[in-house]
Amino acid sequence: MKKIIKQLIFYSLIIFLWQAVIMLKIWPDYIFPSPMKVLEALIEGFNNSTFPRAIGISLRRIFLGYGISILLGCFLGVAIHRFKIINDTVGGLILGLQTLPSICWLPLALIWFGLNERAIIFVAIMGALFSVTIATDSSIRNIPPLYIKVGKNMGARRLALLGKVIIPAALPHFIPGLKQGWSFAWRSLMAGELLFVNLGLGYLLMVGRELNDMSQVIAVMLVVAFISILVDKLVFGRIEVNLRKRWGLKA
Amino acid sequence: MNNNIAYLKIENISKNFSTPNGCLPVLEKINLEVKQSDFVCIVGPSGCGKTTLLNIIANLESATAGRVLYKGKTLLTTEPNRLVIFQELGLFPWLNVRDNVEFGLKVKKIPSAKRKKIAEEYLRMVNLIKFKNFFIHELSGGMKQRVALARALAMDPEILLMDEPFAALDAQTRDLLHQELQKIWSDTKKTILFVTHNVREAVCLGDKVIVFSAQPASIKASFEINLPRPRQIESPGLIDTVRPIIEELKPEIAKITKVNHEENN
Repeated sequence: MKKIIKQLIFYSLIIFLWQAVIMLKIWPDYIFPSPMKVLEALIEGFNNSTFPRAIGISLRRIFLGYGISILLGCFLGVAIHRFKIINDTVGGLILGLQTLPSICWLPLALIWFGLNERAIIFVAIMGALFSVTIATDSSIRNIPPLYIKVGKNMGARRLALLGKVIIPAALPHFIPGLKQGWSFAWRSLMAGELLFVNLGLGYLLMVGRELNDMSQVIAVMLVVAFISILVDKLVFGRIEVNLRKRWGLKA
Repeated sequence: MNNNIAYLKIENISKNFSTPNGCLPVLEKINLEVKQSDFVCIVGPSGCGKTTLLNIIANLESATAGRVLYKGKTLLTTEPNRLVIFQELGLFPWLNVRDNVEFGLKVKKIPSAKRKKIAEEYLRMVNLIKFKNFFIHELSGGMKQRVALARALAMDPEILLMDEPFAALDAQTRDLLHQELQKIWSDTKKTILFVTHNVREAVCLGDKVIVFSAQPASIKASFEINLPRPRQIESPGLIDTVRPIIEELKPEIAKITKVNHEENN
């Protein structure tokens, strides 16, 4: 509970300072809005349902893109792990491609798919794909062979071995990659929506800019960060706490 | 069962490992017969291939030559009727104590109520019932050994293959586990092959002690141990039995030390 009080004081202080700067009237309101104005924009956005609609659209894109990249990434990762020839060829390429910010795929995506939903989902997929692929490969590689031996000796074969030994044993190395993939995918989606305007939260940011409405821009930024934190804490945070407790890993 | 057919027969088993420096023979023509409910201890210098033999019996590794016959039949795949308790145990950290013990039963698709009953029975046998909801990292070394033992016993194996299971424990815990293992063995009548490099431990536990020679391992000597049970590792009767076995083992340990010494120079 103590941590919450500290955080509460910290954020109150930020808002207080923010308000104090506003009172000095250094910048006009439309460049640097007050906390109150941002709050109003936030409430207004939810009331006239532009925010919920944009959130819905962005979430749909991220779930599709991230979901596909998990499926593809697991498949690729297992292929790299199983076949030396794929590891020697595709494996190296993927390590190289991972260093490329996935928004760099947008021009290609626009040519390939046109100005549409598929292009933006493609960019989100590319955001997470390589992190998930690399995590899949390395997490299987890191399983102590003894666990597999014990599983086989106890009678586990194929699916039972996969579900009861390989997957649970791989999780501690896999989850961080999945988490990294999530944040890469979310960032590239936002970048994509900003650059190539077609609904979604990134689009709302651009609308705010065009209308010179900085209170809306900041309100949307808060929403984008909030969603990111929510998934991080609620989904990955819980899984990680559970893993640490079971495996006895240090926080 | 036909009395002429051995329960477990290891016939001319040889094993070579291929290394960058060529072929390394590890086991050479091992012949061994084990009767049902026998407690056989194998002693030999460290790294002499004892572990490899257990893995071959469990079909976790294949032999270069020879065969293992179980009730007269060749064994083809690894089955839970021959369970290895590995030196490093291989308990699953993602499962709690009870789920570890239930693991093999789950694979066998035994219904959960029955599974629970079996698991608790064996956890009681190894005195761990109070710790059934603990995770593996929360247990001491001795407790982990007991979980591994319960996990193996819950599968009701015919043969237990124990690979230096107590080597990493402190002396008191090891003595306690010796007592418990002897009791479990006399209660369950399992056939046990127990690998160790500790001759006193072997004499304390086994009906029979087999001495392996150094690289490649072959059977050098075999001793019947007829001391009354339960035995204590420090009981005086043990010492006289231990001595001739150590005499057999000494030159083998010397061989390995010499080889290592030459390699280092």
